[in-house]
Formats: sequence, structure tokens, C-alpha cells
Amino acid sequence: MCPDRIKISLLIICGIFCSGVLGCSQPKKPSGQIEVWHWMTDRQDAFEALARKYEAETGIKVKFDLFAPSDAYTQKIIAAAQADVLPDVYGILEEKKPVLASFIKAGFVADLTEEFRADNGAWETGLFAKAVDVNRFVAGNINGIRPGIYGVPLDIGSEQMLYNRALLKKAGITKVPVTFAEWLAAVDALRRVGIAPFVSGFGELWMIDCFTSNYAFNIMGEQKVFATFRGDVKYTDPDWIRVLEVVRILRDKGAFIDGIVTKGNKVAEQDFALERAAFAFNGAWSVNVYRSMNPGLDYGVAPLPALNPLSPMVSWGGAESSFVINNASVNKGKAVAFVKWLTAREQQVFLFMKVNSLPVNRDAMADIPKNLADFAKAMESSTHPKIWPVSEDPVVSEAFLKGIQSIIIGESTPSAVAAEVQKIKDRQMQKAKH
Amino acid sequence: MKLFRNRYIAELAAKNAVVHVFLMIVTVSCLFPIFWMVRSSLMTNATIFTDQSLFPKEVHWQNYLEAWTKGNFAVYCLNSIIYTVSVVFGIVVVASMAAFAFSRLHFWGRDVIFYMFVAAMMIPLPGSFVPLFVMMNKMHLINTRLGYILCMINVGLSLSILLLKTFFDKMPSDLEDAARIDGCNRLQIWWHVALPLARPALAVVVIYNSLNVWNEYILASLLLNDKDLMPLQKGLMVFNGAYLTDYPVLMAGLTMTALPIIVVYLMMQKHIVKGLSSGAIVG
Repeated sequence: MCPDRIKISLLIICGIFCSGVLGCSQPKKPSGQIEVWHWMTDRQDAFEALARKYEAETGIKVKFDLFAPSDAYTQKIIAAAQADVLPDVYGILEEKKPVLASFIKAGFVADLTEEFRADNGAWETGLFAKAVDVNRFVAGNINGIRPGIYGVPLDIGSEQMLYNRALLKKAGITKVPVTFAEWLAAVDALRRVGIAPFVSGFGELWMIDCFTSNYAFNIMGEQKVFATFRGDVKYTDPDWIRVLEVVRILRDKGAFIDGIVTKGNKVAEQDFALERAAFAFNGAWSVNVYRSMNPGLDYGVAPLPALNPLSPMVSWGGAESSFVINNASVNKGKAVAFVKWLTAREQQVFLFMKVNSLPVNRDAMADIPKNLADFAKAMESSTHPKIWPVSEDPVVSEAFLKGIQSIIIGESTPSAVAAEVQKIKDRQMQKAKH
Repeated sequence: MKLFRNRYIAELAAKNAVVHVFLMIVTVSCLFPIFWMVRSSLMTNATIFTDQSLFPKEVHWQNYLEAWTKGNFAVYCLNSIIYTVSVVFGIVVVASMAAFAFSRLHFWGRDVIFYMFVAAMMIPLPGSFVPLFVMMNKMHLINTRLGYILCMINVGLSLSILLLKTFFDKMPSDLEDAARIDGCNRLQIWWHVALPLARPALAVVVIYNSLNVWNEYILASLLLNDKDLMPLQKGLMVFNGAYLTDYPVLMAGLTMTALPIIVVYLMMQKHIVKGLSSGAIVG
């Protein structure tokens, strides 16, 4: 390269370097602007449209900043909390509530109880109660938080069983199974015609947690489940063995699609969408996923077949995503008003139209399609770890769920898993005592 | 004799054939994912899972347009160019000076400082997220290009210094002495002697760090808030939702994102092999 070309190249590189280094000082946030941080990549356009609408209506500017994937978002929120630069509105991503509780204790989350109860509780009663409960701390909660509502649900969801009508018909199944025995008969029928009966993202532990806790609640009732978490009932109890037996029986019957424990939920969704399995266990978001992969897929939604007919089959459900308000924000009042506006009927319908999210506002449910309405119906009989009065030690929980995976692949038996989990539970309880 | 020669040639040909078959398998295994990415970028969401043919029956070029417009690629592309050029330039300047100092200068604590730099490579980036964010916030560098560039320079320094120091260690001291006799000071020796000789190693530093910065997104999402400051990878996240992934448009975006870095790689290719075997002959 001749010296002139080197000089020109260096000059260009220096120019870009200077524009990068000096070209942008820290942008100042306009006063009064509401800043929202979220992780929902597929909703950014819809949120921005709503922000423009809100500005047109009220003159208040709202800025939605998207950070994904969710792991990166969580890191950002924790780092921003430590640096005390949290935005006016943000979400906390977790399956249970310890992080939310720690944020509340640190003063980063506003108590919205008064706002929810204003005007005779108009805001609270307008939303699905189970969704509001996800952000509620009741008196005597294990986290030691002052009772109240600390977050605003944005949409709802529940995990249900889905069935492919065409494949059931091909196997000669005319009735959607309601009991476990009927389900096993359907599995046999499907096997006979060479159709994989059941798929779910059992490579993800939380999906197994959701599936088995539905059966645990059905078999022994919620009080006994909570008693186990407290350590008053052992995992070697016959009822827990029955829960594990559900998985063993399904395995022995050949109900699971090949490699089910290696499938993440996105892969499992492909199997159901492409009609490789007749039944699936999935959340309300899947309606969107299946539509994008196979618009002609003919399927229905139903609760998992119950083992104990005397007890209702409850499923995980509640708020799919929630926002909290920064307690230290100078725009706190404006932020609450904006989030309240987001949960109003018109905005909820708009969000449904754009991203197919299930509206949290009861009034907005009128126009949604049947499959989604069936997911919404399950809200009334739903439960969620976030509203449980007690939660299991994560180490015990992980051992239990990995034990289920080992039953599915034939490496272990229900009684062996139960004994192993109980051993870990005893050890963790001893640790907690010290 | 002739028989022996023919046998030798046959053995050589057989060995060559085995080597070539092996290399072909490696080449195909490397190129096939890229081919599959391009092929998938020309399909629709409905056909991407059902059509398993090598070439799509219907070609949907509009995926590229959609990726460019919906993913706001124009802005992100410019940002990524600024970040990549700035960070790589910064790393080359700082790392080459530091490596030269570690290699040729004698000062107190030289080895300790060098090993500290090398040890920094062992710390995974996510482990330093929170302290990094707090520090950058205290310096008012959150949500600024400068903050992100400085952090990325820091990320790339350790390995670059290690690579360049190894190279400079093997540079004959006679060259340095000759330059000194010609009247060069240390900075001039670095500029006129060390840097030109280190071109192969610099090529490795440039390509390695270019790849690193071009594909980086996690640190950007931690340090930057405004989407106008985000790098190209941010555009791809639009198509990869928590639940829903628009695979064809995502693949189109990935193809466009990969192209510039492939071009950079091809441009630097001849130096890379030299750089990787650097130190064998210097000067």
C-alpha cells in the first residue's frame, strides 16, 4: 500500500473514531417524559403506536426501550437498580417473587394499592382478579412485604392442553379426553395409526413444573402441596408417588414424542404446528405461534385430563407480563396514569389485534377468537407459583423436575426419584435451620 | 523400479484423496449452515418448516426488504460500523503500544501488570456487568457511544496484547538498535519498525476484534438505552421474540449482518495464516 493510501485510510479511521468517541454525549431525558423498559421484542411496534396515541391524547411523551433477550434485560434491571437509574416503568422477570420482593424492600417499586382501590376499586375489578393477584402480597406473606398490590398486569395467559382435531379424527377419537383413563385410550388409538400422541417443551424445566404441579393439585389438593413445601409432608407420600406415576404411565404407554426431554418449547411448538403430534401442552402465546407456522391448523383447547375426578383440574395462569412503577420516579403519578390507560379496554383490544396477547381487561374479551377465549376461560380456575403462600426450595424443585426427566427417559422410577428428592429436601431444611 | 515408483505415486494419490475428502467434508460442514441460512431467508414462515428441499420453490426476496426496514437496519448498520472501526482502531493503538512496552521496555512490575492483563481474559463478561454499569453511570457514560466504545476496547485488549507481545518478543533486537542509531526514539521505533513488522499479528487482532464487536449485543443492551445508539444485532432481536420468531426475515437479517464481516475476513485472509504462525520469522 503506498504511503498516501495509508494516510487517507488512517484519516478516515480517525474520523470515524472521533465521531464515535466525541459524536454523542449522554442524551438528556426530556422532563416529564415517561420512560418504559421492557423485554417483549414482538410488541415494540405496538407499544410505540400506543405511546404516540397517548401523546396525542394527553401531550405526555412516552418512550419504550426494548432490551432482549430476557437474560440481558434482567441483568440490566438489576444493574440499573444498583446504580439507582431505573426508568419510570419497568418489568421484573421471574417465575416466583423473590426479586420483586427485594426490589420492593429496596424502595424501587411503588405500592399501587390505593390507585387500584380508588373509585370503589374500579381499576382492580375491571381486570382479571387472578392476574392482579400475581403482583399482590397478602398479609403474612413469606417475603415480609407490607400487604398490597405492587404491579400492573398487562395481559393474561394460562397453560392448557391442545389437541389436533384432524389427527384425533384419523385415529377414530370422537371425544376429547376429559379423564386420564380416556386420555390413555386416546394415546393407544393414536399409536395404532402411527401418530405421536403428546409433545411439550419438556427440555425446559418450568414446563414440566407446570405440567406436574397441575396433577399434584388435582391428586392431593393445594393444601397438601403447600404442606410438602413447608416440610410437613414427604415426597415419598403415596400421593406424590402417584404424581410421578402419571409420567411413568405416559412413558410406558408411549405417549411422549421421541426426544421430548430434549425439546425446548419453540421446537415442541413446531411439532404440534406441523401436525407431528396430536396433543400438546402449552401457553396462550402458542395461538400466535401456531398461526404463523401453520395458518390452517385445526385445533382446540382443553384442560389436562384429570386423574382425580373429584378435584378440579387447575392450571398455571395469571398475568403473562406485568409492569411496576419506580417508587423514586419524579414522574410517578404520570407513570401510574399511563399504565392504567394501557390496561383500559381500548388499548387492550389494540394490543390483542396487533400481537394477539390475551387482554387483562374483562371488557376486552368480547371479540377474541374461540381458541384464545378458551385459554381465558381457564383463568377462573388457574393458579400460579407467584400467588402461592409458600414456595419450594429451588434446589429441591430442580431435583424433582430433573427426576421427572429421568423417569421419562427410563433412567429412574417414581419411588427412586421421590426418595432422592426427599433426601435433598431434608438436607435443605437442615441447612435452613442452621 | 518403475513398479516401485508407480506404487509410491498410487500411495501418494490415495493419501491426497483421503486428505481432500476430509477437507471437503470440513468445507461442506462449514458452508452448509451459511447456505441453509440464505436458503431459509428466501422462504415464508409457512414453508420454512414444511419445505425441506435444498432450493425454495418460491423465492421471497421481500424478506430482505422487510428485514432492512422493519429491523431499522440503516441506523443500526451505521452504528455498528462506527463501533467496529472505533473499537478496533482503539485496540490496535493501545494493544500494540502496551505489547511493545511489555516486550521491549524494562520497568518495575512489568510482568505482574502483564499477567494481570492476561488474567482479565479469565473473567467472563457477564460477571462484571453490574460493577461495570455502576462505574459507567458514575462517569456519566451510560447511554453514550463513548462509554460503549471504551468498554469494548477494554474487552478486546487482553488477548490482543498477548498476541502482539508474543510477536514483539521474537523481533530481533538488532532491528531496534539499528533504528536507534538512525535517530529513532521509542515511539518512532514502535511506529516505523515494530508496527510494520507486526502486520500479520495485527491482521489477526483486527479480524478477531472486528468479529467480536460486530456480533456483540449483550453489553450494548446493558450500556445503551436509545435505540438510535444500538448496534446491528439489535435489529435482529425484533424478529426473535420471546415466543414468536419470524424465521425467514430473521435469516434475511442474519445474512445481511454476516456479509460485511465475511468481506472483512476475506480482505484480511492472507495475513491471518501468517499471523497465527507469527513469531516464526520476524524481521
